[in-house]
Amino acid sequence: MWLVRPAQPADLEQILEIAGTQGARLSSTLPKQSEALAQKIEHSLASFAGKVPASEAPRFLFVLENTVTGSVDGTAGIDARAGNGQPFYNYRRDALIHASHELGVSRRVEVLYPSHSLTDQTLLCSFSIRPELRNTDAFELLSRARILFIAEHRDWFSSRVVVEIQGVQADDGSVPFWDSLARHFFNMDFETADQYSAVLSKTFIAELMPPNPIYVTLLTEEAQSALGQAHTLTAPNFELLQREGFHAGCYLDIFDAGPVLEARTDSLRTLVTSHRKTLHGRHDEAGDLCLIAAGEASDFRCALTHVEETLDDELKVSVKTWTLLGKTAGDAVRIAPL
Amino acid sequence: MLVIRPLQENDLDDLYTMAQNAGKGLTTLPADRELLQKKIAHARETFNQRCAPEAGLYLFALEDTEKKKAVGISGIQARVGLDEVFYNYRLSVTVNASRELGVHVRTPTLHLSNDMTDTSEICSLLLSDEYKGGGCGLLLSRCRFMYLDEFRKHFSEKVFAEMRGVSDQHGRSPLWDALGSKFFDMEFSEADMLSGLGNKAFIAELMPKYPIYLPMLPDSARAVVGRVHENTAPALRMLQAEGFNFNGMVDIFDGGPVVEAFVHNVRTVRDSVNRYAMITQNPVDLDVPARERVMVSNRSFRDFRVTTIPASCIGPDTVKMPPAVAEALQVESGDPVRLAPLKDNGPLPINTYRGQDKADDRVREHRSRSSKS
Repeated sequence: MWLVRPAQPADLEQILEIAGTQGARLSSTLPKQSEALAQKIEHSLASFAGKVPASEAPRFLFVLENTVTGSVDGTAGIDARAGNGQPFYNYRRDALIHASHELGVSRRVEVLYPSHSLTDQTLLCSFSIRPELRNTDAFELLSRARILFIAEHRDWFSSRVVVEIQGVQADDGSVPFWDSLARHFFNMDFETADQYSAVLSKTFIAELMPPNPIYVTLLTEEAQSALGQAHTLTAPNFELLQREGFHAGCYLDIFDAGPVLEARTDSLRTLVTSHRKTLHGRHDEAGDLCLIAAGEASDFRCALTHVEETLDDELKVSVKTWTLLGKTAGDAVRIAPL
Repeated sequence: MLVIRPLQENDLDDLYTMAQNAGKGLTTLPADRELLQKKIAHARETFNQRCAPEAGLYLFALEDTEKKKAVGISGIQARVGLDEVFYNYRLSVTVNASRELGVHVRTPTLHLSNDMTDTSEICSLLLSDEYKGGGCGLLLSRCRFMYLDEFRKHFSEKVFAEMRGVSDQHGRSPLWDALGSKFFDMEFSEADMLSGLGNKAFIAELMPKYPIYLPMLPDSARAVVGRVHENTAPALRMLQAEGFNFNGMVDIFDGGPVVEAFVHNVRTVRDSVNRYAMITQNPVDLDVPARERVMVSNRSFRDFRVTTIPASCIGPDTVKMPPAVAEALQVESGDPVRLAPLKDNGPLPINTYRGQDKADDRVREHRSRSSKS
């Protein structure tokens, strides 16, 4: 069975292994160095335990565990406040009309404005999963478990949620948007900058970007066509998030121009369709396959299970799932349809 | 004899022919009769002091007195950017540095600017092909510095010139193609023509206002920022010899450089001296090479005239001249005149007499007062 739970220090090696398979990704918040990752897990545990005040930007890291083998096969994170106390950089894609009344002409000019507008909104991040698990139920579980966590701890998070989707990257690892813009100011390729980004912070790198707006028409054609385009590998994730109610607005990633998806927290599908129920037992597995989440804070667990609902808000779930969730009959759980 | 004098109404035909032959690139003098006529009228108003000093447009003609024909033109615009907006790009540098990343990158950046507003511009120099060489171009250009010097209060302390930027034989400008055309659906030659017709500010309104990072432009465009057209290289060298320097501003269309100098530092100004005219009936050999000639002006505001005479005519207090020259300058014996070298590398006999003429400043003061009345 698949289980999503808070990441523990013992997961370090396995997470590093997954992070290594993900390729260069400046905006990923999943470190590839063990020291940085150990810190992140430490911080996440403190956040789950409620020891990180809202002003210090709690960050949560979940892992996907195969309960049969005990292996960790994916990660997913939530930053309660994008930017984590620092400015959160994006480009806002906007348009200006350059017009002359005397000459009777006007022209639409597209401009990328550096923006901090999304700072402090809740950010879904650090999503990674073993490639063979893409497009499976485990994939959906890992992604949506976070929304159930938000539903259970609604006041920890802001009224809007954003996700950065990885942008276009060629097979050789080059990123057209980076090469057309940021490269000139860093004199380094995307991969190198990515390594720095993991050690320092995304904000640190972003602050070296030019502070002025950028005219889209002066970018290379490849870079222009990459604006707001998701990497093909992210398609399953992109579609899942769209079903969840996220949509691409005018914000782009500052390094690879991937789209930033936005949603109102209270409109997220998983949040709206989930319900609190009381746990009851049965021996066999029958009924619809659902996401089931239980436990507060550090005890949060989320799994996939077959459930049968009764008319009086009780939920019949196999005992195997009880143990997985660390719950017993009569405890409250939250379910959402798959 | 070749004489500089204010442009007149009857120069229109000659001017039109010159503008036609000049072809592309001379934005301030397009071959458009109506526009040229307006310019002449404006210049007449200026010399007659019927317009505000800051609105002045001083246009001078080089006249071949034998043929009674204007063969060249040059001008000074008293102030730019007062009734429209005068745009340039300022070429500056943005530095990105981070010790942690080991990054220190300098990015040349173009900032849109109106810094030249309210500054005097020397402009509109044009010379018929058959008169090129022999110092006519120098006379046309440098006579303006004599004028600026005489009537400084009508001009700004600093004077500048926009140099024509790089374009190919078809009139295509690499910078326009890479930058301007992306914001404005127009060929460079067309935009250039429109700007000559006085629409430059309107076009500038359509141009990008935010800084342009040069590395984002193709190599061909970056290479021409601050560079002059090969036909303009001699003019640039001449201005550099006068003490003009690139001031970091470039044209927003073709990237041609702006060069500037303080009037009091211009070489022609520094090397000028005052003398009194002395008409001599003895024959004077006027036909000497350009390097042995000096410019002589009549110091008049309304009817400014300049011609060249042999340096050998200069005396300690006077300069002797045959009646024909005096007539061309409209001076009589005893009238003050001002001298300045024509060539950079010629002998400068004027300098040997410098400092002797204490009357210099007094005369100048007197002249500029009388020009006002």
